Amino acid sequence: MKPTMSPQSQAAQTISRNMKLVSHNELAGFGGVGEGINMQVTKDGRRILWLAHESAPKNFTGVDVTDVRNPKVIVQTDLPHERVRSNSLDVVGDIMVVAYQTKKVGDKPAGMDIFDISTPETPKLISHFDASGPHSRGAHCVWFVDGDYVHLTSGSDDFEPTHPNDFQFYRIIDVRNPSKPVEVGRWHYPGTHKGDKEAPPPRHPKFDGGYRPHNINVFPERPDRAYVAYLDGGALILDISDKANPKVITNWKYSPPYNGFCHTVMPLMSRDLLLVTDECTKDDGLDWPKLGWIVNAAAETNLVPMSTLPLPPVETFSKRGGRYGAHNIHENLPGPASFRSDNLIVGTFFNGGVRAFDISNAYQPQEVAYFVPGAPKMSPKGAVQINDVWVDENGLVYTVDRFGGGLYVIEMTP
Amino acid sequence: MLDALSGKFPVSVVTGFLGSGKTTLINKLLKRPDMNRVAVIINEFGEQAIDNDLVEVSSEQMMLLNNGCLCCVLRGDLQETLRDLYVKRRNGDIIDFTRVIIETTGLADPAPVMQTLMTDEMLQENYRLDCVVTLADAVNGLEQLETMEEPVKQAALADRIVITKSDLAGEEVTAKLEARLRELNPQAPIRRALNGEIELAFLVDVGLRNMKGKLEDIERWMGEPDEHGHRHSHDSKVKSFSLRYTEPLSWALFSQTMEVLSALRGSDMLRVKGLVNVIGHKGPMVVQGVQHLFHPPVELEGWPSADHSTRIVFITRNIPRETVANLFAAIGAVTATV
Repeated sequence: MKPTMSPQSQAAQTISRNMKLVSHNELAGFGGVGEGINMQVTKDGRRILWLAHESAPKNFTGVDVTDVRNPKVIVQTDLPHERVRSNSLDVVGDIMVVAYQTKKVGDKPAGMDIFDISTPETPKLISHFDASGPHSRGAHCVWFVDGDYVHLTSGSDDFEPTHPNDFQFYRIIDVRNPSKPVEVGRWHYPGTHKGDKEAPPPRHPKFDGGYRPHNINVFPERPDRAYVAYLDGGALILDISDKANPKVITNWKYSPPYNGFCHTVMPLMSRDLLLVTDECTKDDGLDWPKLGWIVNAAAETNLVPMSTLPLPPVETFSKRGGRYGAHNIHENLPGPASFRSDNLIVGTFFNGGVRAFDISNAYQPQEVAYFVPGAPKMSPKGAVQINDVWVDENGLVYTVDRFGGGLYVIEMTP
Repeated sequence: MLDALSGKFPVSVVTGFLGSGKTTLINKLLKRPDMNRVAVIINEFGEQAIDNDLVEVSSEQMMLLNNGCLCCVLRGDLQETLRDLYVKRRNGDIIDFTRVIIETTGLADPAPVMQTLMTDEMLQENYRLDCVVTLADAVNGLEQLETMEEPVKQAALADRIVITKSDLAGEEVTAKLEARLRELNPQAPIRRALNGEIELAFLVDVGLRNMKGKLEDIERWMGEPDEHGHRHSHDSKVKSFSLRYTEPLSWALFSQTMEVLSALRGSDMLRVKGLVNVIGHKGPMVVQGVQHLFHPPVELEGWPSADHSTRIVFITRNIPRETVANLFAAIGAVTATV
């Protein structure tokens, strides 16, 4: 044994800079969380963190984090079977929407549930939006911030992809009457739907992640724009001023040469920038580099990358087990319990933990804080796989492990 | 945004005369349960180095101690070693240290060590000088101060002074040494320690830890107040004095004055610490310099008290207070108040 450590002992060690653990909750033994986190402030002033699970058997968990030092699970729900996952949710006021994606096409439930969570201990189902179909696996992601529309990554019963990996597209669902959600618009990547006049888009030569949307950002400040990450299709800005007829403004397609799986396109409104993240989907650094990109969007039709978020070397982290690379960021959601900044970005990097960057100088982003929990108990990958993050209006960081680690509440110091 | 100071790793420099007990002090500190995440940089793994009972594993250049600390040998230069430690920590290759202690050799001039932290941009971003601790051996200290340059400089640059071996020297000699050290550096509090036993609070968190500008933090960093504005050392070579200006200064005035002093008398400007009230800035500018180099100024969030006057403490060699005060007056037509 040397004073420098083996990858295994490295993965076992918690490492941090400018971030301190406030509390940790393994979520009643179901500590695998997907990429849906949102915080509700209830009418009686409690703060409830809602988490969508990575996979069955659990659907979603509500955690009372009013006392952040002592988070309490107040509700944890089950999925009907193990062939479906929820993965994504969003909350506006007392309404929560949850996505359902099946393992195979044609299965159910596939689509989205809308819940009344005014009494968080007992969420009441208001309606189910069915997106199942012979070629559909339902919904992967929801974006719901204005109380009116859900921007949904989903298949449908009338969508047959030209390639089996392209089974989801962008759907705009009007939920102003939550008991009767209706689709009001949709858009898919040209050539991915059978019958399109365009030829199907080229497959990624090494990692065919597909042409599907992942996260879709639409902000009340800019209701006529959808910022869409379309996996191997790259980053898109759509004009959705006419929801029934979205139009492409621009498409920054950077893979190849990069390795695809564009995950999030977050506009930094005050600065005419986009923060674009990839998702690392392969273990052991196989699909490296998976990055966070800062993109100049001042000329909307000509997106130009300026820099990437600095990360520790892949040589060290790729050996620790599981995935290492970019994934989710805190997306500056509107809402009373959400941190909003165009200068401080907090993101998750699987075994690279949760990391914060000062991007005030967009050409030279600086890493200012990180927290990498030691490998959770029984971790199947031998290392933590930090999957998603929420930052509250006070700057507290709530981050989750993809498999068993559950919820980590972290304070940025000071 | 995060506080520009609070995220930096504090660095303590332990310096002192030959045989003054630096290693003993460090060994004692490392045995404390609250000092279990320290990276210690020493010059060599000699016989006098870290206690064997602390060492868990070691390689040629690094030792992991059984309390979790890391000890490494200075290789190449300090700049390289500190950069390497930072990178290895970020990669998780070594312990998640929260503090660095640098032990200098007995004959070392601590100024270049302090300057390393001020001049390397990468180090500046990630480390901050917390405290220079100078050890003075009561048995030999007085003679060493009379006959050698280095001990004088070590004492003059200190934030804290620890007198060791007072039991061997006796009270009279120790008191004389203490008085002499006080002349050289009236701002640095002095304590006595036997066998390296000293309370931790005396030695850590001396430098400013955040930008909040709390009174107690600033007083702790600036050192003991000098009511007279200046003192006379018996050999009048090393002097300590302070300047105070009640009116805000322009940054141009302050920086030009310091530039002139550094250019002409840099090597004799041993240490400068101060809070400067700069026109147009809400909080005080924290300034500190070691000889001809200054740390980039840091603006605190606010003033610690109703007193917003500029106060600067100088420790110099053969530069009297009048010279510096006159220079300020000449450059900016400001008059110092005591």
